[in-house]
Amino acid sequence: MRKTMKKALCAVAAMTMIFGMTACGKKGPAVIGISQYGEHGSLDNCREGFLQGLADAGLKEGTDFTVDYQNAGFDDNICTQIGQNFSAKDVDLMCAIATNAATACFAAAEDKDIPVIFTAITDPVKAKLDKGNITGTSDKLPVEAQMDLIRKLQPEAKTIGILYTTSEPNSVSAIEEYQAKAAGYGFTIEAVGVTAQAEVTQAADTLISKGVDCFSNLTDNNVVGVLSSILEKTNEAGIPVYGSEVEQVTLGCVAAAGIDYYELGKQTGAMAAKVLKGEAKASEIPYETIAEYGIYINSGAIAEMGITLPADIAEKAIESQK
Amino acid sequence: MLDLIISTVTQGFIYALLSFGIYITYKILDFPDLTVDGSFPLGAAITAFLLVRGVNPYLTLPVALAVGALAGLVTGVIHVCFKVRDLLAGIITMTALFSINLQIAGSNLAVGRDIDTIFTAKPVMTLFGSFTLLQRKLIVAFLLVVVFKVLLDLYFKTKNGLLLRAVGDNDVLVTSLAKDKGKVKILGLVIANALVALSGCIVCHEQRSFSATMGTGQMVFGLATVIIGTTIFKKEGFVKGTTAVIVGSVLYKICIQIAISLGLPANLLKLVTAVLFLVILVVGNRQKGGAKKNA
Repeated sequence: MRKTMKKALCAVAAMTMIFGMTACGKKGPAVIGISQYGEHGSLDNCREGFLQGLADAGLKEGTDFTVDYQNAGFDDNICTQIGQNFSAKDVDLMCAIATNAATACFAAAEDKDIPVIFTAITDPVKAKLDKGNITGTSDKLPVEAQMDLIRKLQPEAKTIGILYTTSEPNSVSAIEEYQAKAAGYGFTIEAVGVTAQAEVTQAADTLISKGVDCFSNLTDNNVVGVLSSILEKTNEAGIPVYGSEVEQVTLGCVAAAGIDYYELGKQTGAMAAKVLKGEAKASEIPYETIAEYGIYINSGAIAEMGITLPADIAEKAIESQK
Repeated sequence: MLDLIISTVTQGFIYALLSFGIYITYKILDFPDLTVDGSFPLGAAITAFLLVRGVNPYLTLPVALAVGALAGLVTGVIHVCFKVRDLLAGIITMTALFSINLQIAGSNLAVGRDIDTIFTAKPVMTLFGSFTLLQRKLIVAFLLVVVFKVLLDLYFKTKNGLLLRAVGDNDVLVTSLAKDKGKVKILGLVIANALVALSGCIVCHEQRSFSATMGTGQMVFGLATVIIGTTIFKKEGFVKGTTAVIVGSVLYKICIQIAISLGLPANLLKLVTAVLFLVILVVGNRQKGGAKKNA
């Protein structure tokens, strides 16, 4: 028993040493803890944009701030511990990328006054991240702009097919918005829900067999993750797919009225810079949505689908073909 | 620094309740129970559902225990009465719970800061109001873990508890005693999943949120903690299994926190954690007088 006690003490001592090394060194540059929910193209863009936003505001990494970047690999438990790590180290600011990361950071900072700046959250109000020493940017999809775009590219289209994951709140709220506003654009929505990534391609078959005129994507991780195999099926069936962000268009979607996550990150970085410079408190800044969404097109895919691009769209659209 | 130890140990205590559940099914009953990945978020879902409707936070604890017990009962009945294999019985319940959890909570559900949790509501505040929130979380988690540890230890000594242990070790004996081993198995699953859901309930209080994906991987986590705990105390016969499991759970959380604190590239986190586990298991085995072969 005594040996075991000794071992336990050793473990605690080791922990003390390792934590001690990282925990010291207050003063000097501000410490920013970045908690990213997982490895994902859009979320990575957010982080890079965030750092660019800080740089644009005149803050230099190294002299003005240092970054402690952690990635939870889509694991909620690790998210929790990352938040607690930042909170215990009394970082000067937490940047949380995606909802689960923000929830964990905000919970860890509950009895401290550490500002939390989030990004890539669709509905901060529903996630209860709108009150307190917290602010950031929402990546809510421009649903109406997307339907407007589809109407212009496919004047004859009647039904839009959408694939989504039933457990992703972002997707569920986007579907609700699509359904509420579709009639205004003369569309009906055919939505098929999945519970896991493995079911997505099957669900795509279902939508194709229902004879939808086009697919419209959300920022649904499961669906976007297997976009290439969806595109294979839709291309064969001659059904155009609309994306929700630049990267999807690059992959082969015909077009998107969507978000550039790098820009969203930059906007977030600018907010963080205000807080770090002491110009405003996070609790005083309301959360923002993307200032400007872009129209992205893939000319190759458009030609393949036999769609004629109206001149006014062609004028403002950004070519995103590889 | 001290804060970090407090919050890490708190996590260990909260998840130890889940590990108790896995200890009962895996270690005692020898039943690989995958219900856990569904009953853990079930506890959180029902808790978030009740909290946002203004129910007394302490009431969520017995409710979570009850719904968890129900989930265990379902798996038990599927396995024992319908003769479905153990793994599959758990998978069926887990799959069903995924939908049920979403049905209960709507979707991911957040509990605002204006709502009291078990860490901020009255009795705890009157008793421990002078402590910080962080310390209160540790105290409450510790108290809960000790209470359930003692209750379990007492239960294992009862006739019924001994029967439970016999089913896992030698079920022929149970049958020869003219006892129904099926009933005992069901009871074990009921107790185990009640504890797992309770753990999910406390996590919901602590994180102020329920997310549909929070159950993923909890079974694996629980197995790891049980194995770490029991390996370390293998020779210490008088250390109770429940104590070993608590230590295992705390050590697991410490390993992850060390991996985070090392500040290595984020992608290496899981690798570092895996190496730390291996070290614990190897060192644990070694000190048991290496002559005996464990493999």
